[in-house]
Amino acid sequence: MSGNGPVIEVSGVSKSYPMGFWRKRVKVLSDLSFVVGQNEIVGFLGPNGAGKTTTIKILNRLAFPDTGTVTIFGEEAGKRPGSRRRIGFMPEQPYFYEYLTGAEFMSLCGHMNGLGRGEIKRRSEEMLTRVGLDGAAGLAIRKYSKGMLQRLGLAQALLHDPELVILDEPMSGLDPMGRMEVRNLIRELKDAGKTVFFSSHIISDVEALCDRVVMIHKGTKVAEGSVDELMGKEGVQYVEVVFSPLPPPGWASAAGLTRESGSVQGDTFVLKARDHEDANHWIGELRRVGSLVTSCIPVKKRLEEIYVEQVAGNAREDGLGG
Amino acid sequence: MGGRIVSIAANTFRETIRNKILYAILAFALFVIGITYFLADLSVGELTRIIVDVGLASIHIFGVVTAVFIGISLISQEVDRKTVYLILSKPVPRWEFIVGKAMGLSATLALTTLAMAAMLFLVHLGYERSPEPGILIASAGIYLELVLLICLASFFSTFTTPVLSAIFTLSMFLIGHVSKDLIVFGGRSASAAVQWAAKVLFYALPNLENFNWKNEVVYGGVRSPGVLGMAAGYLLCYCAAVLTAACLLFSRKDFK
Repeated sequence: MSGNGPVIEVSGVSKSYPMGFWRKRVKVLSDLSFVVGQNEIVGFLGPNGAGKTTTIKILNRLAFPDTGTVTIFGEEAGKRPGSRRRIGFMPEQPYFYEYLTGAEFMSLCGHMNGLGRGEIKRRSEEMLTRVGLDGAAGLAIRKYSKGMLQRLGLAQALLHDPELVILDEPMSGLDPMGRMEVRNLIRELKDAGKTVFFSSHIISDVEALCDRVVMIHKGTKVAEGSVDELMGKEGVQYVEVVFSPLPPPGWASAAGLTRESGSVQGDTFVLKARDHEDANHWIGELRRVGSLVTSCIPVKKRLEEIYVEQVAGNAREDGLGG
Repeated sequence: MGGRIVSIAANTFRETIRNKILYAILAFALFVIGITYFLADLSVGELTRIIVDVGLASIHIFGVVTAVFIGISLISQEVDRKTVYLILSKPVPRWEFIVGKAMGLSATLALTTLAMAAMLFLVHLGYERSPEPGILIASAGIYLELVLLICLASFFSTFTTPVLSAIFTLSMFLIGHVSKDLIVFGGRSASAAVQWAAKVLFYALPNLENFNWKNEVVYGGVRSPGVLGMAAGYLLCYCAAVLTAACLLFSRKDFK
């Protein structure tokens, strides 16, 4: 974590909703705690129904926790509506007043954020241009495509130049080009000193963007840390060593290598060693037959694999417990 | 604060006046008021009274239909469509949202009531060749009643579905025109508890007859300014109480 105090501090938050005819309370979040530091990009990962959107609603005072505390910039979330001027929020699949044009909607959001007329006009034009909607500012929102709605959601979240930006599934509904633009925008926000907290299903985006990741499953945190920490925890999966020229035919099987651990790819021999010690052993063996190392890469687990393991592990524990 | 409320009200007004169903209701109301001109010719005696009577009844009925139709969508539609997320996640206290919505809808009703009242005024003027300001006074009474219904609809829509909100608001409209009878019925009972309960109910339920100035216009009477002031005061107090309750319920509402 970088910076001074945490921007977001979620501590022991539990939340349940009454469901069904008998209004039986179903737990959605259970003793959830995490922090988001200043100028960090933090990804919030979890499968559908994990409680990501509920957490984000609590951060944005659209829902209230049963127990626990949520502070943003050191203040209890939602206690003072005025403090929300420092926060920009884009809900998942944002819904708009469809009878308004993009410019009219931005103007409404500007008034809600307490901006002056001149500032609203200037910032609206700037933000609509920034998200590529400058040509559609006068178009009724009902005529916008899904991707355009997502962009408008981003534009309104950034309209008042907030210090903290909370985005619920910002990449959802965007084509690869749009996703790249949003990724760049998030990076630019960090460069401008902002803090970004976003949920996403697209793990590659989280891996590429985030300083830290919080993973939840069934309302409980299953992992938290920097991407490096999370991947480091799991250690090196294997060491991939590439040799050239090829060793003599039949050498690999004679040396006891399986097809998975050693294979010919074009004019190179690719070996998957268990660890660095094993890699050094095989480097020595192959040098003896005239094959030299052209590359040596320790392969770590990808965030996606860690995520799947955490979620699957949690599900197994639930099964054992239940 | 005021700027945000006005913006929410202006947005609500813009939303409702861009609603085609509202225009359909208004067009039908204007048509019905318009044909009172010919209805008077078909009736025997009291010709202008027929125009005013039927015309004001039309303004009342179509006004209530409009108020209930747009009133029940006040909050529930915003919640269902999740548009409320984008407003309430901003530095907007929830009570400002409720008050702004109620003000916007009241402005829409002012416009539709004014249109219907102007139509009736012109029909009467065309038939009688002399203006009848009482039509405008009686229409103002109808409008005050509609504002109260809007506040009630907003209260119900903070905690129930649009259909139930509509049923509750219409029930309040019907009860509101007979609530004075509660005192009469309570007075007939020998039980002090029943008398007390009747009194409590009378003060809790809206007394919409306070805004019913149609008979005075039809039969040529005029309401004194004091009575009009009392009615306006009653409206302010009742709406403030209902909206406060709506704001309290809405302030801790969880959006799923």
